[in-house]
Amino acid sequence: MSHVDDGTLHAYLDGELSPVESQDVEAHIAQCPGCRDRLEEERALIARADELLGLAAPPDRATPPFRPGDRAPPVRLWWRVRLPLAWAATVVLALGAGMYFGPGALRREQPAADQRTSDLAAGRALPPVAAPETVVTHGAAPLAVRRTRAPAAPTSVVVEGKSVAKDKYTGEVVADGASAADAARPETVVALRARDELAAGALKQSVAPRPAPAPAAFPLPAAQERAAAVARMVGPYALTGPPLTLDSARALVDTDPYAVPDLPVRGIYRARLIGFSAVVVVEQALDSSTAIDVITGRQAPLSLQAVVVTGAARADTENAAERAVRGRAAAASDSIAAAERKPEAAPVRARGAAANRPATALVVEVRGPLSADSLAALERRLQPLRP
Amino acid sequence: MPHSAFRTRLMPEDLADVYRTTYRALVRFLYRKVWDAERAEDIAQEAFARALVHKPANARGWLFVVAANMARDDARRAARERRHLTLLKSEPAASAPPSDEALHTEGERSQVRAALEQLTPRDREVLLLWDSGLSYDEIATQTGLARGAIGTTLARARRRLLEAFEAGRTGEHVARG
Repeated sequence: MSHVDDGTLHAYLDGELSPVESQDVEAHIAQCPGCRDRLEEERALIARADELLGLAAPPDRATPPFRPGDRAPPVRLWWRVRLPLAWAATVVLALGAGMYFGPGALRREQPAADQRTSDLAAGRALPPVAAPETVVTHGAAPLAVRRTRAPAAPTSVVVEGKSVAKDKYTGEVVADGASAADAARPETVVALRARDELAAGALKQSVAPRPAPAPAAFPLPAAQERAAAVARMVGPYALTGPPLTLDSARALVDTDPYAVPDLPVRGIYRARLIGFSAVVVVEQALDSSTAIDVITGRQAPLSLQAVVVTGAARADTENAAERAVRGRAAAASDSIAAAERKPEAAPVRARGAAANRPATALVVEVRGPLSADSLAALERRLQPLRP
Repeated sequence: MPHSAFRTRLMPEDLADVYRTTYRALVRFLYRKVWDAERAEDIAQEAFARALVHKPANARGWLFVVAANMARDDARRAARERRHLTLLKSEPAASAPPSDEALHTEGERSQVRAALEQLTPRDREVLLLWDSGLSYDEIATQTGLARGAIGTTLARARRRLLEAFEAGRTGEHVARG
């Protein structure tokens, strides 16, 4: 046998070699003084390292009793309190911005309407299927998420500026483009700004007033693009109660909860998360020791109704499929035209629709002990979970 | 997704066993990450509370993964709060000045901490997991390293820890003149 390397010596001293491997090491050491000396050196090294680590050990306290009865809700640590406050601040900010730049502003200022509509065009042009959707963008802490398409649903768009100055700035630029009757330019501006906001970790989410019985095919290429830029959901969630059946999970979020295909599902749970009326967590095993949580959340309608300022209404959506076929530029000019036709009627009608059918966003996110890249990759694979 | 794919449930009494054998190890592991005994215990408790809900198949490994993530998040937030904490700490803490012995212990602790922080993340993680009582197999699962690489990694980590500690001590003595 050749000389024993350091790693094998440490494994031997740690008692982590198989009996056969240990015998090999012992046989070699018995007839190799050099390795015998090294063995003693490594033994001293390990003892010294253990001693040092012992110096940096926590005080030895009694183990607190284990009380499974205390399971829900889990201990609320100090950091669990702070994030929801950040979320609340976001809503306050968004509300304020919404009031300032809301329907009133739309009526006062034609350019503002143009801007919202061209945002709508950009928003719709992203997914090739172009199911109508509502896009809400408001700048804030790196927060929540995205998506859901529902065919033949009302289409509306909101943009709330990251700051007052920024909103005004983009509004002016877009207005220039629109006044020059150049349909492509506002879209470019919007696209640039969208990139900007994504880079800044801004929030982007799509809202469907009600999920379609059969969710649109997912993932779509455009949805994948967006998924890559997905920010995190707000705050940690608390699982509540025993595991759910898939049926009750579906009833809870009013659609199929999402999951990564081909990964074993360990359980489906209901969870609580501030800002969401229903949250379903699908726990999936990545391997024997790693689990990921796929969170499908239905946002609470209250906050959305308060925050969303709609720009167009139901009747427009008849054209949606048609517009999608004609492509981006066409969609942009078309929706600008639509907004010019009824800039005032639209918000009113949208509010009426919202009252009848509360718009609630479906938010999906993957969490787990993985890098952000791996989580994003998993998010791109998400599919509705079917029995 | 078939319901049959659900793995068998971990019962609370099984977790109670894991708790008895793993709680102190988990706190020891976490302490070297957050350097605050109270917070290490809080995070360990929280990890067990979550294990009760999630019922992971390999509870011990799962606990270390989840706890490590929580400690990392905690460290990020703690960094954000540092200014505030510094202000709090500048308040006079105890009426009696700490004994020489306590100061000495504290000094060695921070020297070990500084030495640990000079290791590469992987070496440090393997060393801390081993010191918390995980086996080579468990460490391999935890870190994604090959089992055969654990001994080598540990040998390197231990040697560097000693070197960094001795270098820190020498440096301090030189600085003190």
